[in-house]
Amino acid sequence: MIELLRVFKRFGMKGAVLDISFKAQQGEIIGFVGPNGAGKTTTMRLITGFLKPTEGKIKIDNKNPITDRLSILSHLGYLPENNPLPGDMTVKEYLSFISNVKKEDKIEKIIEELRIDEVYEKKIEQLSRGYKQRVGLAAALCGKPDILLLDEPTSGLDPIEQDVIKDLIKKLAKKRIVIFSTHILSEIEDVATRLLIINRGSLLFDGTKPKGKGSVEALFKKLIKKS
Amino acid sequence: MKALYKKELMQLLNSPVGYSVPIVFALFLGYLFIKDVFIIGSASLKPFFSIAPWLLFVLVPALSMRSISEEKRANTIEVLLTLPLSEGTIVLAKLLSLFTLIAITLGLTLSVPLVLGLISSLYVPEIIIGYGGLLLLSLLYLSFSLYISARVSNQIASFAISVIILFLVTTLSSDFLANILPKSVQDILILGSPLLHLDNFVKGVVDFRSLSYFILLIVIFFKFTVTELQKRI
Repeated sequence: MIELLRVFKRFGMKGAVLDISFKAQQGEIIGFVGPNGAGKTTTMRLITGFLKPTEGKIKIDNKNPITDRLSILSHLGYLPENNPLPGDMTVKEYLSFISNVKKEDKIEKIIEELRIDEVYEKKIEQLSRGYKQRVGLAAALCGKPDILLLDEPTSGLDPIEQDVIKDLIKKLAKKRIVIFSTHILSEIEDVATRLLIINRGSLLFDGTKPKGKGSVEALFKKLIKKS
Repeated sequence: MKALYKKELMQLLNSPVGYSVPIVFALFLGYLFIKDVFIIGSASLKPFFSIAPWLLFVLVPALSMRSISEEKRANTIEVLLTLPLSEGTIVLAKLLSLFTLIAITLGLTLSVPLVLGLISSLYVPEIIIGYGGLLLLSLLYLSFSLYISARVSNQIASFAISVIILFLVTTLSSDFLANILPKSVQDILILGSPLLHLDNFVKGVVDFRSLSYFILLIVIFFKFTVTELQKRI
């Protein structure tokens, strides 16, 4: 379980996350939406322990992401914003490194599922954005993580690739907590079971996603206008 | 740790700096030695051991400048720090992979004593201890340069800062300045001089104080680098 309790994150005088609280349980697919600079990436980085909260508590399975870092990271998969990858390595070299670190012995299954076998021997810098995104996702999926944090997982993908990723997220969420951020509101309608809307560091909405086509977008626009 | 060490070494060996700088270093040292043998007529390893440290303070930062600063610039540090690897493991793997490359580079210069052995008699333990001293000095320079690389996000700045500081430390404590600085200041600087401690090894002596000096400073800079990575803003 992920638990954020009155979490604040400030960079100098600028508040990036202001008083955020929420809980996430296994089986939930949480769509995390907000305009650019709303605090989505900062919140994800706080959950991974890459950033330290200025105030408040974060617990992952009752553990602290800063002090119990290794224990938490061994069952957490993370796709960071902009998907930073070492371009000078081949996909094979990179994924075998990640699978060694995360003790994943069934990397072939992930490769097959994400359809990256055809670029397996290629250098990452030679890949298209879509393939790079799949490699980043494959790395996040290594080690059978209980928690998946995906920062804009469909960014730069064409509609067919987006569908592949969306189906994968749905499949993965059965035994996991999946939190994914996105700009594409229709993805929330397709994939998420729960919706978090954030703006200027504050959580504006936390609840079951509204039903009906365009309802997420309508709610989003209404809340952003208000805030 | 093994996986990260392997990845780091592979990345180093695949980079232009990783394979060109060690070859240039070995060729240059070999040239200097051959010049001494055939032009001056001196067949000794002393010039080799006295020049090597001056080249190492350029070679080591050139190899290590990318190590952490580039990870920060490209933000791959976020991937690394969100893997189940401790900061100590990350620094150790980076340090050992760089050290392996330096050891290979110094291994390439073994042609110097081999050639010397053909034309004169050599005392092998002295050469082994001398090389051991160079390896310790390299590890100290590496440990320091890696710390600078962790502090700076620009690899060129990381290289420049490391070279300047290592140059100052090496120069200030060398004979070069012995006549310029007051004797009391010079005495203190010489005590902390990496060259003075290396000199004991070059003479074929494993001095406990020199060994402790290298180990202590290597551990201190290693710890500083780990602390730098542990900082969470």
